Formats: sequence, C-alpha cells, structure tokens
Amino acid sequence: MSGDSVPFALPLSRFGISDREADALFRELRKPLLRYLVCLGLSQDEAQDVVQDAFLSLHRHVSAGGSAENMRAWLFRVAHNQARNRQARYDRRFTAPLDNGVDAPLDEATPEQAVLEKEKFRRLGVAIRKLEAAERECLLLRASGLRYREIAEVMGIATSTVADTVERAVKKLAEKCNV
Amino acid sequence: MCEYAGRLVAWLDGELPHDETTDVEWHLAQCEECRRAVSVYKEISRSFLDCYESSMIARPRRNRPRWVPISGIAAAAATLLAVVFLRPAHVEQLTVSPPPAVHAPAMAFQQPRAITAQAPARRRAAPAPHPAWTASEPKVQIVIPADTMFPPGAVPAGFNFITEVSFAPDGSPQALRVWP
Repeated sequence: MSGDSVPFALPLSRFGISDREADALFRELRKPLLRYLVCLGLSQDEAQDVVQDAFLSLHRHVSAGGSAENMRAWLFRVAHNQARNRQARYDRRFTAPLDNGVDAPLDEATPEQAVLEKEKFRRLGVAIRKLEAAERECLLLRASGLRYREIAEVMGIATSTVADTVERAVKKLAEKCNV
Repeated sequence: MCEYAGRLVAWLDGELPHDETTDVEWHLAQCEECRRAVSVYKEISRSFLDCYESSMIARPRRNRPRWVPISGIAAAAATLLAVVFLRPAHVEQLTVSPPPAVHAPAMAFQQPRAITAQAPARRRAAPAPHPAWTASEPKVQIVIPADTMFPPGAVPAGFNFITEVSFAPDGSPQALRVWP
C-alpha cells in the first residue's frame, strides 16, 4: 500500500512515549489497522481516515495523562468503535468482510491447484459471511495478531467469551468448508 | 464429543495456562479424533489468514475521483491565465535619461541635489494604468485542493490551500502567497 513510509509525527515524547516508540507503533500498527477496517467493510479511503483519527485520539489520550499501557489494544478499540459509528452514521450495512474476490497468492500453483484454491476460498468466503458479527470480528482481530485478552478489550467482552467465540467460529468454518 | 474439544483452538493459539497446555498436549498424544480436529482448525486458521492478508490485494485502493487531477490542472491553468491576461496589453517603455555626470570631489554636496533633480523626470515617465486593468482588484485568489499537492491522508479531507497573486499597478505579478 502506498504511504507506508509516512512517519508518525505527533510529539508524544513529552508524555512518556519516545519519538522512536511512537514512530515504531505507527509503522507496526498502521497496516494491521487498515486491513482490519477494510475487512470490517470500510472502503480504503474511510479506513485511512479512521486510522488517522485513531492515532490522533491516541495523542490526545496520552497528552491528557491517559495510560500508555497496551496501546495496540487501545488503538484497535478506538478504530473498531469509529468504524461502528460510521456504520451507524451512514445508516448502511457494511459489506461482508473478506468478500468480493479474495485472491490467494497462487503464483507458483498449477492451473488445477489454482482452481481448487479459488473454490476453497469461495467456500470460505461464503462461510465467513454466515458467521455472526461478533464471531467475524473475533477472527479478524485474532488474524491481526491480537491476544484473546486484547480482543476482549477491543470488543468490551470477557476473555473467556472471546475464547468461546473463536472456538465456535473456527468450528463453524470447518463445518461449512468441509475441511 | 471429547471433553477437550472446547479447548483445542485456544491451545492452538497458545492461550491456555501452562498446566492446561500440558494437559491438552498429553491428551492429544492419546486422542486421534482431537489430533484430526486440531489439523482441521490449523488449516482453517491458515486459510482465514490467507484470506485476511490478501484482502488488501483483492481490493485495490479506490483511485482519487477523476475531478481531483482535473481541478488541479484547472487551478494551474487559471493561475497562468490570470498572470497572462490580467496584465495590461501594452506597457510603455520608460525612457530614463542617465544622471548628469558630476565632476565634483567625493565630499561635494551637489551630488544629492543632482539625484533629487532627476527624480521627477522618472515619475513623469511612469505610464498610466491601462484602461482594461482594474486597479481596484489587485489580487486574484485561487483555491487549490490539497489532494493535488500532497499524498492521500497527509492532510484532512476537504483541506484546501489559497493562492493569492498580487499585481503591481503596471500589471506585472508582484507577489505570490500560499496559505491553508
């Protein structure tokens, strides 16, 4: 994606986060946040806006003396809530995540393998669309590399509920995809 | 169903406490059904991750609206037109006669007088403003969308820059200011 080298220029150094840490945080989380938001159904332009707003909110949060602990979960939670707000504001249903022509990297696959893989991803896409929103979001956050504890923080639910939800979602996908 | 079936995904994700992890691993060594289930969950998780990671590839970034580059070009063209056509069509040439040579010593007091005497001649030689030129509006403002100047996301949406071109009374561009 373009703009990967955009530095995080907000001066967080005065608030317990060094410039290097702030920059590393931005570089590390910008792309996962964008991917998560796009998979939630936002357009890429909207996702860019939300990510920018999330980092601005982080700046305000830390400037106001907020805790600088576990900023990854904090940023995901802010982005998640903003995505939900946009959904409510525009009064429209987000497109199903991972929808619309998911193309797995098949550079070295034979044509037969490519067809099989494409069929597998099509079935998986159908199965993902049939998941409940919470199940989908748990799986997306899990794929973003968040721990169950962090997913719980993002979604405002208990960690044990996250474990149950992920377990249930994976089993549903396995059943629907006949793996 | 096996009593461990509800903890297999959490075990795969490394989310179980140490004692439970050991317990599940011991069970997996004994239970063929759970080993198969773990294999399926691994495969599904990998496929989901592939889907997830390719989602950015599958959805190419929406290009900027077509009007954005067009408006940028239009703004540049408007600036050019303003500079070219808002100038007076004809500018009279000034004929300034060189100051008379003064052969006086360096400390002579006549030299300032000689310059003062020459100054009115310059003022008389200045051309009158061209009738087509509206001196009451010496500035032209041009709004340039920030999208045309910066990469996407660098400035908030709807953020524009205003360019102000000032002209001298004789119609030549005098100053160019840009501010957000």
